[in-house]
Amino acid sequence: MSLNDDDFMRYSRHLLMDDIGEVGQEKLTQAKVLIVGLGGLGCPVALYLAAAGVGQIDLCDPDRVDKTNLQRQVLYRTEDCGELKVACAKDRLHALNSGITINVLAREVDVDILSGPSLTEAYTAIVDCTDNLAARQLINKTCYEQRIPLISAAAVGWEGQLVAFDFRRYRQLCFSCIIDYKSTEPMMNCSNFGVVGPVLGVMGSLQSITVMRMLLGFFEQHGELQRYDGKRGQWLTMQCASDTSCSICGPTDR
Amino acid sequence: MINLLFFGRLGDCALDVDKSIFYQDDLATPLDVRDWLAKAHGDLGKALSEPQVLVSVNKRVVKWDHPLADNDELAFLPPVTGG
Repeated sequence: MSLNDDDFMRYSRHLLMDDIGEVGQEKLTQAKVLIVGLGGLGCPVALYLAAAGVGQIDLCDPDRVDKTNLQRQVLYRTEDCGELKVACAKDRLHALNSGITINVLAREVDVDILSGPSLTEAYTAIVDCTDNLAARQLINKTCYEQRIPLISAAAVGWEGQLVAFDFRRYRQLCFSCIIDYKSTEPMMNCSNFGVVGPVLGVMGSLQSITVMRMLLGFFEQHGELQRYDGKRGQWLTMQCASDTSCSICGPTDR
Repeated sequence: MINLLFFGRLGDCALDVDKSIFYQDDLATPLDVRDWLAKAHGDLGKALSEPQVLVSVNKRVVKWDHPLADNDELAFLPPVTGG
């Protein structure tokens, strides 16, 4: 699929860049990305990827918009309360960019959803914007097994975290090496501890950039963990190590 | 010396903690340091014992039994899983 006249205008600021240009924009246009979770992280991720011209974006979330979401989930409006998040998000994203395909999956994430938009095709990348550990572990396991790039973020209070894995190129080190598959859910989450809206914007934007780097072929930081403390304005970047006893990517599964 | 970093909200529990400690045989791992801190700082010890607290040494995420060396930077990171 090549770019049309409207695309040349819409994406002109990408096309001006030597390291994106027409070739890079076509990579974005041909990509099929799944966003799991349309909450505080998923909203900015979806907005930036839609604006950037990612050709197909599938949105997975079973929840409906609640008034308590509006402090941070920037795709939704007061009148959306009670409506499905994915349906509202699709409307807003299509209003932003009608030239891309947006599919909605209004149910809990499962292996069928993660396995691809069709029986014969895998997602180009999967973006983990969920709010619970069980979903994160399922997404990690499926991405590892099916060699799909995974971009995972999380936030609570003033703090955010991002880690990404290019399972197309690397078969050691996955999310379960960092947070054990059998680990219990932490006591604090956004519902019982609160979260500052812009922290989700920072981390969601960082996820969007990481998706674009993955799609454009710039990503090299497999398993690098970034932490942000918005209260103190601090960043910490660390390298994670593969766990030889990992139940997902341990030696017997490679 | 071992230089301690309490990232994010853990910093709020560690305001009165000395951020440099002498490297010694009975503080040979992050787990030893956590247990030692917990004796004098109950709230901090409780926060460090939450599931999914991560530890890094010299900007590398490690296990709790990772051997420490003199002049290491040991960072504790609270769990973050919301979205």
